[in-house]
Amino acid sequence: MRKLIYLFLFISLQNVAQNKQILYDFNNLPQTLLLNPGAEVYNQFHVGFPLLSQISFQAGFTGFSTYDIFANNGVPINDKIRKAINNYGKAEFFEANQQLEVINAGFRLKNNNYLSFGFYEEFNALAKIPRDLVDLFYEGNSVINRHYSIKKLAARAELLSVLHIGLSKKINKKWQVGARFKIYSSVFNVHSKLNTGELYLENGTNNIYKQHIDNVSFLMQTSGVFFDNTDVITQSYIQKKLLFGGNLGAGVDVGFTYHPKKHWTITGSILDFGFINYKKNIKSYRVKGSYEVEGIQLDFDLNNPQNYWQNLKDDFDNQVVLDTIYTKYSSLRPVKLNGSIAYAFGRPYYDDCHFYKESENYTDKMGMQIFSTIGAVHSYLAATLFYEKRINKHLQTKITYTADPFSFTNIGLGLSSHFRAFNMYLAADNLISLSNVYNTKSANIQLGINFIFNKKN
Amino acid sequence: MNLKYYIISLILISTLNSCTKSVDFNQIDDANVHPIYTSTLIYADFTAIKFLDANNQEITYTTDLIEAPIDKTTIKYLEKVEFTLIITNTFNREFNFHFNFFGDAGQLVYELKPIVIVAPNSGETTFTLEIPPDDIQVLNNTRYFGFLVTLKPSSDGSTLNGTEIANLNLKSSVKLYYNFRKI
Repeated sequence: MRKLIYLFLFISLQNVAQNKQILYDFNNLPQTLLLNPGAEVYNQFHVGFPLLSQISFQAGFTGFSTYDIFANNGVPINDKIRKAINNYGKAEFFEANQQLEVINAGFRLKNNNYLSFGFYEEFNALAKIPRDLVDLFYEGNSVINRHYSIKKLAARAELLSVLHIGLSKKINKKWQVGARFKIYSSVFNVHSKLNTGELYLENGTNNIYKQHIDNVSFLMQTSGVFFDNTDVITQSYIQKKLLFGGNLGAGVDVGFTYHPKKHWTITGSILDFGFINYKKNIKSYRVKGSYEVEGIQLDFDLNNPQNYWQNLKDDFDNQVVLDTIYTKYSSLRPVKLNGSIAYAFGRPYYDDCHFYKESENYTDKMGMQIFSTIGAVHSYLAATLFYEKRINKHLQTKITYTADPFSFTNIGLGLSSHFRAFNMYLAADNLISLSNVYNTKSANIQLGINFIFNKKN
Repeated sequence: MNLKYYIISLILISTLNSCTKSVDFNQIDDANVHPIYTSTLIYADFTAIKFLDANNQEITYTTDLIEAPIDKTTIKYLEKVEFTLIITNTFNREFNFHFNFFGDAGQLVYELKPIVIVAPNSGETTFTLEIPPDDIQVLNNTRYFGFLVTLKPSSDGSTLNGTEIANLNLKSSVKLYYNFRKI
């Protein structure tokens, strides 16, 4: 069991959030259409290698790294834990995201629009853990008048599949726009947000201390998590849920590419603007109320014995109510925003991969990207500087520097190779931490194989 | 330097440098967390009438019992249990306070020591009682906490009466010292 925990810790700290800063607008790959449906692609048609067109792992924890705790440096582990907790912010978060493209294909229509479609599986999880809860576990509650709040406590986890179809349309030489329609099928969902409340200890009047639970409002919605009979959870059950037997929803992506001047490009996209309706296997829990207690007042009345503890529990249950809810609910997908501005320079090129010659292409490109995820559970912002270089007609590279909540020293590298129709790409970040992978708080890797055809292939 | 070679070098260096600094996951065996949780406990206020029977005759003791709210799954992590009693006595009489643990069948399984001796007119006095580490396992067999307050005879032979304006006030709390080992 402990090895499993190590493995989880190591993998989770290896892998970050849903920012695919390297893949975004990279080498006109078909996968860029999933990050910006208005991205420019020049090929005639493409098909991703089934199950291998995009494998993506991302995860991170903003609190501390594996190395912070387990470094073999002679410092006692309890001192390292203490230091990590001292450095813990008001709330830190863990996020993991995994995607597997099952199908990805697209082709150019007669009117020159590019139609792309596909199906992918996605798992994502995010947990925001407030410092107050860490302190409550690590130190206890013995500090008088210290308020331990659950205000920043939030979490979500979901396994779903996404069927999508999108169109990228060139309006004119300057503008390209696109949109993608998505149908979501959720296997399971856990959702907890907008929690409030606190507990604390203060000096009492009738007794030494008075304990408070103030204005607690906690809601955890789940779908497909709790079963009367867990035997139903088989591989075929999950397959059925992934293949539109789950809780269904819909969403759209929209995006654009704009060339204000010859060498300049501005792009932007909004992804996963949508929702899922949860109707199946619903079981949600709500805790609401306030309670304060100075202890149990004993009567010492031998003729009238009291069931003090039961009375206290009943009183507590009346004032802090735990409800189990079976009604359906909806949840918005966490929206992702991307934007970039880039300046292209170097040699212009036109080759087999870029038969579509209305756009100017240059060997070098540099610029800045912004990524933001906006969700009810948690939102954050990341900024990336990048330099993209076309080495030759077979190899394109992209180097990124990203600042996000996980790190200010995140260097990433993307490689995309073309040999005739065969395309393989690899994008990974946090390369600096490769010198000590245990010391990274996050990492991000995407790789895949496509077959990209133009008129000459 | 030609950019092509620069990038190839960068990749090679990244690959060659890919390694880990020494970590030791076995350190987890030495890790522990020592939270201290404080909870309010019982309180009571005794006037003279509590120690008088229906005929206004002095009785020497009074007692009460509560179900013990013990989470037995965490007892193995308990290192120390410390009770704090703050007792204010304005009677001109000595009281003894006994804190006993009883099992499912009501049998006595443990007596917390020492017995608290509350001197006459002692004002507010704080007492600390501890379950020693070796005795903590008795909590596994404890179903009830029992409290016994005994009234000691006066030195001058006087007895309490119902009009006496004095009280014995009891306040209490408990601190649970945990050691979560091998987290």
